[in-house]
Amino acid sequence: MEAYDISLAGMFFAFLLLLIPILISYYLRLKLISSTAESIIRMSLQLAFVGVFLTFLFDLNNTLLNIAWVLVMVFVASHTVLKNAELRSKYILLPLSVSFIITNYPLLLYFNNFIIDLDNLFEARYFIPIAGMVLGNSLRANVVGIDNFCTEILRNENRYLFRLSMGAEKSEALVPYLRKSLRTALRPTIANMATIGIVFIPGMMTGQILAGASPIVAIEYQIAIMIAIYVATIMNVLLGVIVLIWNGFDEYGMFKKDMLKSE
Amino acid sequence: MGILDIKNISIRYDGQSVLSDFSLSVAKGEKILIKGRSGIGKSTLFRLIMGFSIPDSGTIILDNVPVNSDTIWNLRKRVAYVSQDTDIAEGKVTDLIDEIFSFKANNEVLDRDQLYSIIYGLSLNPDILNKDYSKLSGGEKQRIALMLALLSGKDIFLLDEVTAELDSGLKQKVVDMFLKKPEWTVLSISHDREWEQSATRVIDFSQETN
Repeated sequence: MEAYDISLAGMFFAFLLLLIPILISYYLRLKLISSTAESIIRMSLQLAFVGVFLTFLFDLNNTLLNIAWVLVMVFVASHTVLKNAELRSKYILLPLSVSFIITNYPLLLYFNNFIIDLDNLFEARYFIPIAGMVLGNSLRANVVGIDNFCTEILRNENRYLFRLSMGAEKSEALVPYLRKSLRTALRPTIANMATIGIVFIPGMMTGQILAGASPIVAIEYQIAIMIAIYVATIMNVLLGVIVLIWNGFDEYGMFKKDMLKSE
Repeated sequence: MGILDIKNISIRYDGQSVLSDFSLSVAKGEKILIKGRSGIGKSTLFRLIMGFSIPDSGTIILDNVPVNSDTIWNLRKRVAYVSQDTDIAEGKVTDLIDEIFSFKANNEVLDRDQLYSIIYGLSLNPDILNKDYSKLSGGEKQRIALMLALLSGKDIFLLDEVTAELDSGLKQKVVDMFLKKPEWTVLSISHDREWEQSATRVIDFSQETN
C-alpha cells in the first residue's frame, strides 16, 4: 500500500482553502492577510527547500553528511532557544550547542540501535527525521526551562542571595531554581503524553498511517518517540540550565544581567 | 587591624555617588549600630561586604584577608547577613531549615535543642515549623530569618532593620540576644532605640557622609 501522491492540481486545491481565512480576515478587518500571506510563502519555500534537500540527503545517504546535518539542526535549535528566552547568544550559544550534542546524539544512536534495530545507525531516512522530532519537540520545553530559570533568579534574587549569605556554594543556592525550572518545563510534555491518542492523533503517527504503515507499527513508533522526546527534554533542559549556571554568573556568584536582551 | 576593615570604599549607582571614600574598622566582639536616613547607603555597605555589589574603589578586609572573588566565598561562610527583604522562601519552614543546613558549609551545625530554645526565645510557637513560610506575617518571617542566622554558628552578624516589624517587647528580646554575647561581632542597621545601649558604638551615616 503506497500513499497517494498529491498532484499539482491537489496542491492548488490546498492553497484554494486559504480563501476562507483571507475572506474572514477581510470582512472582519483582522489585518491578518499580509502576515498570513507571508507565513504561507515562507512555509512553502522552506518546505520546498527541505524537500529537495532531504531527497538529496536520502539519495546520498552519506554517514558524515547525515551527522553534519543533524549538527546544523542542533545549532539552529540552540540559537532558537536563546532567541526565544531573550538571552544574548554570545555567552552560551557554544556551550549550549555542545550540551545538546552530548544529550541528543547518544539518544538518537540508542534509539536507532536498540529500539528500531537499524543496520546502519546513521541511515538518513531514520536518523534525520527522528532527530527533528526529538529536537523540535524538546525545543519549547527548553525555552520554558531557561526562561523560567532567568526570570526566577531576577524576580527572587533575594532568595538566592540569602542562601549565599547562609554559606551556600553557588550550585547549592541554585538547586531550588533548577528544580523549579525543570518542573515547569516538563509539565506540558507530561500532560501531552497522558492525553495523546485521545485528544489528538500525533503528526508522526498520522504520517505513517497515510504512508501505508499499519496502525500498530505507527503506535509502536509513536510510543517510542514520545519516550525519546521526554528523555531528550529532561536532559536538554537540565544541561541547558547547568550551562547557564556555569556561564551566567560572575566570579562573585552574581547573575550576569547583561546576558538578558532587555537589560 | 580589626576583624573587619573597610578601607576607602567608593561606589556609584547610575552616576550617583552612594558611598564615597568610606572607611570603618570593626574590632572583634564590637557592637555597632548604623543609623541615618534611608537611601544614604547603609544597606549598600552590607551588600558590598557580602560581595553582592562590587565597589568602584577601596578594599574590604576580613581577618587580614582582602576580599576578592576567591575569598568572598569564605567570607560568606563566616558572616551571617539578614537583609530587610524577608521573601526568602516558599514551602514549609522546616523544609527551609533542612535546606539551609544541608549546605556543605553548615553540615552538622544544626543543634535541634538550640532550635527550640531560639523558637521560644523569639516568642514563636513550634507549630510554625510546619507552616508555609510565604504565608507568615512580616514579623514572623523576620524572626525565622534571624533564627537561621542564630543557628548558623557564625560570629559576625550584619543585620539590616531586623527588628523593624516586631513589637517593642520583642525588639528588646532580639537586641539582647545579639548584644549579650561578648564574642559576637554585630553590625546592625536600625531606626529602633533598643539597639542604642551603652556598649554600642553608633555610626550616623547622615553625619559621616555628605
